[in-house]
Amino acid sequence: MSAPGTERWDRLARAAAAAREQGEEQHLRELLRVEVAGAPYALPIERVREIVRLRPLTRIPRVPAIVLGVISLRGEIVQVLELRQALGAGSAPPGRRARIVVMNGDEGEVAGLLVDAVTEVMRVAESELAEPPGEPAACVRAICRRGDRFVSLLDPEPVLELAVR
Amino acid sequence: MAGRRRKTARDKLQQEFVSEAEEILERMRDDLSALAELDASERAAPPELVNRLFRSAHSLKGLSGMFGFAGLAELAHHLEDVLDRLRLGRTSLAGGGLGLLDESVSLAAAGLEKIGRGEAADPLADPIAELVGRIAAWGEAAPAERAPAGPIPLPESLARALTEYEESRLADALRRGRTLAVIEVEFEIASFEESLSELTRAIQEIGEVISTLPSPGAASDSGIRFALLAASELGAAELAARLELEPDAVRIVHAPAAARPVAAPVERAAPASEPDAGTLKSLSDTVRVDIKKLDELMNLVGELSRERAALRALAERLAGERETARAAEALEKIRRSLDRKVQELQAGVLDVRMVPLRQVFDKLSRVARRLRIDLGKEVELEIEGADTELDKLIVEELVDPLMHLVRNAFDHAIETAAERRSRGKPERGRIRIEASQRGNDVVISVRDDGRGIDPASVRARAVERGLVAGDAELSQKELLALLFLPGFSTREEVTATSGRGVGLDVVRANVAALGGLVEIDSTPGASTCVTLTLPITLAIVQALLVGVGTQRFAIPLGGVRETLVVTPEDVQHSAGRELLALRGEALPVCRLVEEFALGAVDRERRQYAVVLGIGNARLALLVDRLEGQQDAVIKPVQGPVRSVRGVAGATELGDQSAVLVLDVSALVEDGARRREAA
Repeated sequence: MSAPGTERWDRLARAAAAAREQGEEQHLRELLRVEVAGAPYALPIERVREIVRLRPLTRIPRVPAIVLGVISLRGEIVQVLELRQALGAGSAPPGRRARIVVMNGDEGEVAGLLVDAVTEVMRVAESELAEPPGEPAACVRAICRRGDRFVSLLDPEPVLELAVR
Repeated sequence: MAGRRRKTARDKLQQEFVSEAEEILERMRDDLSALAELDASERAAPPELVNRLFRSAHSLKGLSGMFGFAGLAELAHHLEDVLDRLRLGRTSLAGGGLGLLDESVSLAAAGLEKIGRGEAADPLADPIAELVGRIAAWGEAAPAERAPAGPIPLPESLARALTEYEESRLADALRRGRTLAVIEVEFEIASFEESLSELTRAIQEIGEVISTLPSPGAASDSGIRFALLAASELGAAELAARLELEPDAVRIVHAPAAARPVAAPVERAAPASEPDAGTLKSLSDTVRVDIKKLDELMNLVGELSRERAALRALAERLAGERETARAAEALEKIRRSLDRKVQELQAGVLDVRMVPLRQVFDKLSRVARRLRIDLGKEVELEIEGADTELDKLIVEELVDPLMHLVRNAFDHAIETAAERRSRGKPERGRIRIEASQRGNDVVISVRDDGRGIDPASVRARAVERGLVAGDAELSQKELLALLFLPGFSTREEVTATSGRGVGLDVVRANVAALGGLVEIDSTPGASTCVTLTLPITLAIVQALLVGVGTQRFAIPLGGVRETLVVTPEDVQHSAGRELLALRGEALPVCRLVEEFALGAVDRERRQYAVVLGIGNARLALLVDRLEGQQDAVIKPVQGPVRSVRGVAGATELGDQSAVLVLDVSALVEDGARRREAA
C-alpha cells in the first residue's frame, strides 16, 4: 500500500505523464538502422539494450533453426536469433561486420538478434512513416524513405515468436 | 461441500468480495495482535501500524458499501473513525480499546463467513448497533493527553502542504526528539511508484516517512522529483548512506537541541541498553538486497575460484625450477590461505541468500483460512519448522506446488464432517506441514488425516488409461508413483478449488525443475503424506563437464552415479533399444549426440558412459569425452524459447563461453519411458 498522501501525487504525476505523451506525436522517433541480407532495416531504439560483437555461440538442441544458440553476456545467458531467417533470406555465415543487437522484451526478457551490420541511429518523424506496400514479412511494421532507399521498420515481437513455433 | 451449485455471476462476485474482505480482516487481525503485544509490554505502537489499521478499515468500508452490505460498512465506518482518532493522537488505547477493536474485527469476520456461505444477505444489524454504541462511548471517554507540539520547524511551503495526520506525526516526532530531514529524489516517471515505495520502506526501517510531496525541478523530461519529510535518529550523512543516496539528497531541517548518540543504528547495540526504541531499531541492522546483486557477487566468487587455479599452476611451474623453488613454496602458502578465504566468502554469500520458509508458510495459512470458508470444512493447519532456511529463489518457486498440495488435501483428502464422524475420526480435519534440514537438503512434508489413497482405484484408473498392464505386479509405492504421471487424476469432478488435470504431475515438474524429488505415501482411510526433498541452494552446483563433438555440456554431480569407459561391444541391443549391462543390471542407453541431434552417430567409437540416477531409475548417457569437474552457477537461458526438454539451464565457463546444463531427471525419465514402450 502506498504511503499516506501518495495517492494524490500519483494522480498528479499520472496526469503529467499523460499530458507529455500527447505531445509525443510531434517528437522524432529514434531508430537503429541495421543491414540484413543487403537491405536496410530499422529497430526501435527504446528496445535496444546493447550492441555486441559476434562471439562464440553455444548451440541449443530441439529449437527452430532461427535460434542460433546462446551467448554469455557478462554472466547472463542470452538466446541469439538470426534476423535474416525472419525476413525470408535464409541462413548465411556471419561476416566481419556482423553484430548482435540485444533487445529488451515487453516483460523484461532479453534476446539477441544477429544482423549483418549496424549502420546508424536515425531520427524519423512519425509523419514520415508509411504503410509497407504489398505483402511484407510479418515483422515489418512500416517503411520510411532514407535518401534513395526505403528502410523497413521492424517489430521485434513477431521475430521472437518464430523461435517458439 | 455437499451439493456444490453452479455459480451464478452474482455468486462469483460475492465470492470475490468475501476473499478480498477476508484478506483485509486477516491483515487487521495480524496488526491488532502486534498492537496488543506492544501494549502489553507498554511500548508505543509504531505509527505505521495504526495507520495501516486505519487504511484497512477504510478499504473494508468502501468494499462493503460497494457490494451493498450496509451493516458491515457501518461497522467499518465506526472502526475507521476511531482508528483515525487514534492515529491522530486524539484518543488512546486506554479503557478497553484494544478489546473493542478485536471484537469488531471478529464480528466482521463472523458476518463475512455467513455471507460467504450464502446464509444471509447482511446479517449484522443487531450486534453491530450495540457494538457501535460502545465504540462511540470509548472514543469519547479516552481522550489522549497531548503535549503541545510547539511551532513546526519547517519551510513554509512544506508546512502548508501537510495534512492533519501528517502534522500530528510531525508533532510526535518532535516530542520524541527525532531529527527531521527532507530527502529529495528523482525517479523515472515510468517506474516511480515502485522506486518510491522502495525508498519509503527503506526509510521505515530506520524511522518514519511523515509526508511525501512532489517537488519541482526534475532534471529530465522523463523524471519526477519528490521531497520526503522523514523523521529518524540519524544525521544527514548516515541517512544518505543507509538509503544509498547521494549525500546532498538529504537535508536536515530540524535536529534536537541535545545531540543524541548516533552510533546505535549502525552498530549492533546490546538489546538491553535499548529499552524503548526496540520496535524501530531491531530492524535497523537489516539491509535489503536485490537477489541480482547477490548473483553478481556469486559470479565474482566463481571467477575468483578460477584465478585460484591459475595461481596453483604458476606455483607448480615455479616449484619445478631450482632458483624459484623457495619463492614457489611461499606462493603455495599464500595460495592455500587464499583458497580458504575464498571458500569462506562463497559460504558467506550463500548464507545471505537464505531465507526462512516462514514467508511461504504464512501464505499457506492464509489460503487455508479462505478454503475453510469456501469449502465449509473445519480443517486445522499445523506448521512446524518455519525457520528452516532455503535459497530465496527456491522459496519463491515453492509457493505454487505447496499451495497445490494444501488445496488438494482440503478439497479431496479431508472428508466432510459427517463422513469423518461415521469413520470414528475427529470432525475437525488436520493438515500438518513440516520442514527440516537434512544435510544439504531440505525436506518438506504435507500430511493430512483424510481418506488416503485407495491403491485399487489408482490401479483401475492406470489400467483404464493403458498406463500399466492389467496383470502387472506393482508394489504400493510403484502404484502411488503413477499419480505423478501427466493428466492422472482419481477424481472426476471439477472443483473451483483444485480444478482438473493439473495435479501432482505439475507439482512434480515444479519440484524437479529445482533439482528436487517428490514422494507420496498413503494409508488408505487414514492419511496421505507428500514429501518434497530440495537442495538448499541452486546457486552453485558441482558439475561434470562432458564433450560431444565440438560441444560441451555440464551435468550436475548430484545426478551422476559413476562414469565408465564403454567399447562398442559393451552395448547390447534388445527390441531396437540399446542397453548397457552393468553389474547384472541392464541400463537404458542414451547417446547425447543422437538425443540432441548434434551430428552423425558413430557406433564403432569408444565412448564414456555417465551413469545418471534419480531415485531408483538409471540411465547410461554416452559422450565422447569427460572434461573434469567444475563449480557451476546455473542460470536461466533468456530469450523467446522458454524451455528445452533435457536442458536445465546454462552456465558460463572461465573462457566466457556458455555451456548448457543437462536436466538429469528429464533425461532419466525419457530413457525409462522409451524402454517401457519398447
